[in-house]
Amino acid sequence: MVYFILKRMVQSVFVMLAVAFLAFSLFRFVGDPITQMTGVETSVADQERLREELGLNDPFVSQFMRFTGDMLKGDFGFSYRTRQPVADMIADRIPATLELGVVALIISLVVGVPAGVYTALKPRGVLTQTILMTTLVGVSIPTFVIGIMLIFIFGVQLGWLPTFGRGGTVQIGSWESSLFTIDGWRALLLPAITLGVYQLTLTMRLVRAEMMEVMRSDYIRFAMARGVPMGRLHYKHALANTMVPVITIIGLQFGGVIAFSIVTESVFQWPGMGLLFLESIRFVDIPVMGVYLVVIAFFFVLVNLVVDLLYVAIDPRLRISDVS
Amino acid sequence: MLPLKLAVLGGALSMSALAASAETFRWASTTDPQTMDPHAVNSAPVLSFLNNIYEGLVRRGQDMSIEPSLATSWEPLEGENGWRFKLREGVTFQNGAAFTSEDVLFSYQRASDEAADVRSWFAPVTDMRVVDEFTVDFVTSAPNPLFPDSIANFMILDKDWAEANDAALPARDAENFATMNVNGTGPFTLADRDPGVRTTLAPNGAWWDDASHNITEAVFTPIGNSATGLAALLSGEIDFIQPIPLQDVAQVESRDGFKVLEGEETRVIMFGFGHEHDTLLYSSDVTDANPFTDPRVRLAAAHALDIASIDRVLFRGKIEPASQLVPAGISGFSEANQNRPDYNPDRAKELLAEAGYPDGFSFGLKCTNDRYINDEALCRAAASMFAAVGLNAELSTGPVRDYWPQLREDDFDMYLLGWSPGTFDMEHPIRFLMHSQDDSRKLGSWNFGNYSNARVDELLPMVQQEIDPAARQSMIDEIIAITQDEVAYIPLYTQPLIWAAKDNVELTQRADNFFMLRWVTVN
Repeated sequence: MVYFILKRMVQSVFVMLAVAFLAFSLFRFVGDPITQMTGVETSVADQERLREELGLNDPFVSQFMRFTGDMLKGDFGFSYRTRQPVADMIADRIPATLELGVVALIISLVVGVPAGVYTALKPRGVLTQTILMTTLVGVSIPTFVIGIMLIFIFGVQLGWLPTFGRGGTVQIGSWESSLFTIDGWRALLLPAITLGVYQLTLTMRLVRAEMMEVMRSDYIRFAMARGVPMGRLHYKHALANTMVPVITIIGLQFGGVIAFSIVTESVFQWPGMGLLFLESIRFVDIPVMGVYLVVIAFFFVLVNLVVDLLYVAIDPRLRISDVS
Repeated sequence: MLPLKLAVLGGALSMSALAASAETFRWASTTDPQTMDPHAVNSAPVLSFLNNIYEGLVRRGQDMSIEPSLATSWEPLEGENGWRFKLREGVTFQNGAAFTSEDVLFSYQRASDEAADVRSWFAPVTDMRVVDEFTVDFVTSAPNPLFPDSIANFMILDKDWAEANDAALPARDAENFATMNVNGTGPFTLADRDPGVRTTLAPNGAWWDDASHNITEAVFTPIGNSATGLAALLSGEIDFIQPIPLQDVAQVESRDGFKVLEGEETRVIMFGFGHEHDTLLYSSDVTDANPFTDPRVRLAAAHALDIASIDRVLFRGKIEPASQLVPAGISGFSEANQNRPDYNPDRAKELLAEAGYPDGFSFGLKCTNDRYINDEALCRAAASMFAAVGLNAELSTGPVRDYWPQLREDDFDMYLLGWSPGTFDMEHPIRFLMHSQDDSRKLGSWNFGNYSNARVDELLPMVQQEIDPAARQSMIDEIIAITQDEVAYIPLYTQPLIWAAKDNVELTQRADNFFMLRWVTVN
C-alpha cells in the first residue's frame, strides 16, 4: 500500500511537469505582460529594460527550466501584477476555494444520493418525474446563468442573502474560514448551490441508474425473499453496491469542481484561487498562472489517489487481490 | 480651466429604507489597485485610489483645475528654466512625522528611479534641489510652462519612514513595505488591506485641509463581473460603483433609491492608419500598395462614418462627437478646428474614385473587445458603414493584453485606439500620437502607424516651451489644422463616464475617472 502511494506521488510529479510545460508553452499566446505592467507614458526603452530584467527575452526552454527549477527549490516567484510572493497569494486563496468545493460536494451528496435512491425505487411517481425534469433544466443552464439568477432572486429581490464575497470569516492559524459564522454561511450558500447543482444532477442520475440495476440483481431478490427489511435492503445492501462507480465519478468530478470553480467564483466575486487565476489572465501574470495550473494538476492527482484508496475501503474484494 | 460638463451631483432625499449608515461607505470598481506604492505603477486604478491617501505638491479640483496642495504657491525660476515650489508648513504624515522639503527631494529621487514606472513625468527635469526647509526647485532642460500641471499625481512619501522600512525604492520585482503599507499626508489612511478582496480606509484626523466628507470608514471591494457589481448595488450591499455598463443604465434608473451618474470622460476614441506601411496586410484585392497612404482615402473613410447613428444605436445618446484628439474644454483644444468630417457616403465614394479605387478595396481592421465601452460593437458598426462606400473591412477583435504587442509589431491596416491626455493638455496626444516615432527622445511612442509630418515635429518642442498662451495656442492650432487636413487619425467621439450610486450619496465625477473620497457625503 505504501509502495502504491509512493508510486502515485512520483507519477504526480511528472503530471505536474507536463502541465507546467503545456501551460508555459501557451503563455506566450496570452499576451505581453510588459504592456500590462507599465503605464501609457512609459518609454519603449524602459519597457525593453524591464523585459530584459524579467528574462522575457530568453528562449522558451530556458524560461521553462528556470520556472521549474525555482519551483523544485520551493521558490514560486513573485507576481507581475502585485509583486507579492506567488506562494502566499495562492495559499491565501486555497481555503476559500476548498471550502466552496467541499460544501458544494456535500450539498450534491446530501441531496443527490437520497433523491437518486427515491427516484430509482419509485420510477413512475409524480415526484420522481418532477425531480428528473427540474434537474434536467438545472444541468442544461450554464453555471453563470444559474449564479446570476440566484443572486437576483435571493440577493436583490428578496434580500435574504449577500450577493458577493465571503461575508464574515474567522482566522484559524493561516486558514481563513467562513464555516464558523452565520454571515460566512449565508455568503457561502448561493455559490455552493451554484457550483454543486451540476454535480448534484450527475450524482442523482448515477445513483438512480446504478440502483435500478442493482435492484434487479439476484441477491436483492433473494434478500427480499428472505424477508430482509426493506429499509435495510435499500440503504445497506443495495446502496453499498452502487457506490463504487458513484465514488469514481464523484471523485473525478471533485477535481473538476475545484478547477472549474472559476466561473462561480467570478460571478460571486468569491476570493478563491479561480478568481485569482482570472485576474491573472487578464493581467498576463505569468508566474501566478503557472503556479495555479501546477497546483490544480496536483489536486487532480491527489483526488484520484483518494478515490483509489476509497475503493479499497468500500469494496472488500479489492483488499484481497491487492494488485500492487 | 475647463468648462467640461461636470456632474457635481446633488443627491435627492434618501429613502429611509435604503439609507446607509453614515459611518461606513462601501464602493466597488472593476479593478483592484495592484499596489499601495505610489511610484511603482503608472495606472489609473492605482493613482486614483492612492490620491485618497497620498498627496502631491499640486492637486486637481472637482473641475480638473490645478490647485495648491502640499505646495502653497509656485513660480518660474529666475535666470534658469524650471519652477520653484513653496511648501505648506505644519503638515504631518499619518505617522506624525513632519513634512519638509527633504521628503520632496526623496520622493523625486524615488519616483524618477529606473525602478519607478512614473519616471517619465520627470523626463524634462535635469536637477532638483532643496532651497530651505519649505522651498524646492525643479530645474528643467527647457522652459516648461506645463510642469506643475504634469505632476499632479506625483505623490510625496515620508523619507524617514520609507528608509526605515527598506522601501527607499519602489518595488519592481518583489514586494516591499510600501506595497502593503502607507504613510501619506492625505485625507484617508489605510486601515486594512486584503489584496483583491477588500481594502478599508479611515479618515486622517490630522489632515491639514478641511474635510468636507462625512465618512468615518470606507470599504473598497473590487468586483470584476459587471452583473455581480450591479446586483451588489441594487441589493444595498454597496453604496456606489464605477463604472456600470451602458445596458444597465435603464435597470438602475427604473429602481427607487438609486441614480445613474453620467459625465464625459476625457478619452477620445479614434481610428488610426498604417501610414508608413508599403502594402496592406489583410487585403484580398490590393496587395501591392497601401491606399491609406493617400489622404483622400483616409478622408473617404472619415466621411463614411455616421457618428450620430452610432451614438443613437450603441451609446443611447451618451457620446460627444470628437473633432480632435482631446475633447472641447481641455487646455489646448483648437477652437479654430472644431469641425469633423460629416457623414457623407457620396463624397466618400467620389474621393475613393479620385484616388483610383472606384470600386473600393478590402483591408484589415483591428479592434479591442475589452478595453473601451462597446468597442467591439463600435467596430462592427464601423465596418458595415465602411462597406457601404466600398471599403471592406476584415474585422478582427481581441483582448487588450494581446492588442498593444500586435500594434507595436505593425500588424494592422487600420486600428482602434482610445486616448486620455494624462496631462489634460493637447500637447500630450501630440507628443504620443502625432510626433514621428523617436524612441531615443521618447516621442511618438503610441504613434503605431508612424504618422509623420516635419512641421508637426518641428512645432512640438516649441509648443512645449512656449510661455505665452496665445502664441502656444496658435502653434497648436497649426498642428491640428495639419493633422486634420492630412487625416492623421479619424477622431470619433468622447467616451462617457457612467457610474451608479444610491440616492443618498453625493459625490463628484471627475473627468479623469478618478474617484475622490474627500468629496463624498452620505445623507
